[in-house]
Amino acid sequence: MLALRIKKAVRKGATLVVADPRKIWLTKLAKRHLQLRPGTDVWLLNAMMHTILSEGLQNEEYIRGFTDDFDAVREIVLRYPPEEAEKVTGVPAEDIRATAREYARERHAAIFYTLGITEHACGVDNIWSLSNLVLMTGHLGYESTGLNALRGQNNVQGLNDSGANPSYLPGYQSVDDPEIQRKFADVWGAEIPDKPGYRLDQIVSGLHDGRIKALYLVGENPAQTEPNARHVEEGLEGLEFLMSQDIFLNDSTRKYAHVVLPASSFAEKDGTFTNTERRISRVREAAPLPGEAKVDREIVLLMAKALGARWPEYPDAEAVWNELADLAPNWYGIRYDRLEENGMQWPCTDRDHPGTPYLHAPRPALPSGRGRFFPVEYQPPIEDPDSEYPFVLTTGRTLYHYNSANMTMREPGVVDKQERPFFEIHADDARGLGIDHGQLARLVSRRGELEAEAHYSERVYPGLVWMALHFAEQKVNWLTHDVGDPLIGTPEYKVSAVRVEPTPQAVGDGR
Amino acid sequence: MTAMVEFTLDGRAVSAPEGELLVHAAARHDTFIPTLCHDSKLDPYGGCRMCVVDVEGSPRPMPACATRVAEGMVVSTNGAITDFQRTLTEMLLSEHLNASPGGRPNELLDLANELGAEAPLILPDAKREEYDDRNRLMGYDPDACILCNRCVRYTQEVMQCSALSLEGRGGQARIVPTWGLSWLDTECELCGGCLSVCPTGAIYEKFEEGTKRPERALEQVRTTCTFCGVGCQIDLNLDPETKHIVKVTSKDEYLPNEGNLCVKGRFAFNFVHHPDRLTQPLVRGEDGELHATTWEHALQVAADGLRGVIERHGSQAVGFLSSARLTNEENYLIQKLARAVVGTNSVHSCEST
Repeated sequence: MLALRIKKAVRKGATLVVADPRKIWLTKLAKRHLQLRPGTDVWLLNAMMHTILSEGLQNEEYIRGFTDDFDAVREIVLRYPPEEAEKVTGVPAEDIRATAREYARERHAAIFYTLGITEHACGVDNIWSLSNLVLMTGHLGYESTGLNALRGQNNVQGLNDSGANPSYLPGYQSVDDPEIQRKFADVWGAEIPDKPGYRLDQIVSGLHDGRIKALYLVGENPAQTEPNARHVEEGLEGLEFLMSQDIFLNDSTRKYAHVVLPASSFAEKDGTFTNTERRISRVREAAPLPGEAKVDREIVLLMAKALGARWPEYPDAEAVWNELADLAPNWYGIRYDRLEENGMQWPCTDRDHPGTPYLHAPRPALPSGRGRFFPVEYQPPIEDPDSEYPFVLTTGRTLYHYNSANMTMREPGVVDKQERPFFEIHADDARGLGIDHGQLARLVSRRGELEAEAHYSERVYPGLVWMALHFAEQKVNWLTHDVGDPLIGTPEYKVSAVRVEPTPQAVGDGR
Repeated sequence: MTAMVEFTLDGRAVSAPEGELLVHAAARHDTFIPTLCHDSKLDPYGGCRMCVVDVEGSPRPMPACATRVAEGMVVSTNGAITDFQRTLTEMLLSEHLNASPGGRPNELLDLANELGAEAPLILPDAKREEYDDRNRLMGYDPDACILCNRCVRYTQEVMQCSALSLEGRGGQARIVPTWGLSWLDTECELCGGCLSVCPTGAIYEKFEEGTKRPERALEQVRTTCTFCGVGCQIDLNLDPETKHIVKVTSKDEYLPNEGNLCVKGRFAFNFVHHPDRLTQPLVRGEDGELHATTWEHALQVAADGLRGVIERHGSQAVGFLSSARLTNEENYLIQKLARAVVGTNSVHSCEST
């Protein structure tokens, strides 16, 4: 859907540059495709900044007025000349230079990124690099600019805003701030644990090292969606107690859950979702719940009661929202009656505040009002291809399915378009291995193996294979490794080393 | 600021931003000009001529959907023009044996009703050959199609793909997936944008056949899509009796999607009413299998399970993985349960990717 806005902009004359290891659809409309090797983003971005600084295209006024630590970045990026970048990234130096110039000179220049940037062991470095580029040019805080993270899930922004985060209470208020703790403890009538909790990756590794003994899943399926998924499954098996509330059984709960509570889909409940532009929109009950299933709000309230808590009644979703908004200053001004039309974008601090379409306007939205440069050195991916595992495997999603595909695999009209597990491979590679188009082939990594249809594809270059995470029967996460970003633990779904081989049953002649 | 121009609309002095399409300028001044091929999402086309108006000094009527207002223009939308529109409607009607199969909304019939137009005769080649395709999402009925080309223009201008084309001439003309392939085999992403702009329901959701109700009796509930992070605003269209979702639509004024949807948002809601949905609490028995049970029992087992781990290993041994499928309110309650009741901050999700 976001691509439609990009298409619209291109039709009106905008210049589009796509940086992606794969030749995605939008490259058809792009002026240039920077087809970099997975995991070499820092080289590409530092080399773009190298060009900007050597040609004096930076926005000195913005740098002086609104940022700190610029000199540290200058020093580092000058060691990343485009000619060297070409060797590492595979992107021609002239393309890097041209893109840097176009980006720096255009006042309305926006960057959109998604998991290709974050799902790396250097994911945070990648973000910092992008941020350095944006701060250096001052392209933020007004229309058609900024560094825009495209969220892949309906309420992944909102769940974090609402406090489903080990370090932050609702509204990004630190769990280890005594004043904040007191504020929440007073309203909740319970003490708040003062140490940050475990992140997703720490919870998953905790399954193995004994830190985590019980897991409460809400609509999650870590045995499919987490890296090195076979290993995750072993961890789930070892739990003393696993419970879930969900709308379907999945591979994490079918075998390992002790209790599964039937929950609600989006069509059966009231509430709000927050989209990728921080826009809070209403969700409205439309259809009845199946059987004895309950809305998730009610399930959590019943669990709290069963555990002996005395909570307020929360007769409806709005009552819950009001408690959240009362406790979170940047949400305080947003109430249901203001969401009827097209929602509102936080921050919104009081009833008269119009909401905030551009977060960093007129200056970076930090307490200091200044954006900080973080110099970044290139770190190669954890797993480089070698003679035993010569291919880079990168993973992703398709238009037709959604994550573990528990919802979309139940839609025959969509399944018609994409039914069976497949991976993309360049025809030259496949022919060399004697694998036909459409034939079952095997992908093997140090963690596991799977069989899927080999699809000859121009989207990948020789040496790269790509597969989506949607297929429960052949999970690409059996192959991925689980060494994530050292700071935040985001897994490196985008780079694993694999080998490709024909299945013994079907050795083709590479047609 | 765009400059304003003054012009005359049915004898009234009015103003509009320079360069605005006449059809939109008139609408803002409460003058409705009927259109069929026009869509504000698409470039001006002027194909069906339903929106023609008299412009002083022009030798023939002008299409309001493709004419821009200009200073001093004198426009008339009634009088002889209404007869012209009625005749045009009659000509269109005479090309269809059954203009509205399936009772779907049909702007041509609405217009005929308003103008008092009836087909004077049905042309001998009106009945076009039936069309079928193996995709299970969208159907096309050549007999209802008025060849306004909105669908083809949507694919070209909004999606910027080559999914549909206009093929054949005269009575044989019809809209087909490009190269005569199946909808599943072209560049088509099955977004259904073509059917959303179709004025006569010629392209339609095959789901719709799941309800016996004529479409206008469906209930609409506005909500936010449950798939990606764009947060498209959608209307769930429900059968008033079964309360099942029959189809999903959107509107041009909805932000952020401006009425557009993707294949998942428009079509992939079958899961809501799927027989695999969990309908009873399940508890694993001595035999190692999950068994249906009462809520009371399941909640007891769940509470005992969590309490047991807390007693044996402490609160930090409990982890919560919450979901982006849940609302903000539900996520708020989950983290409150983790922190205030179980006593751990270990509540996270796939957000960290």
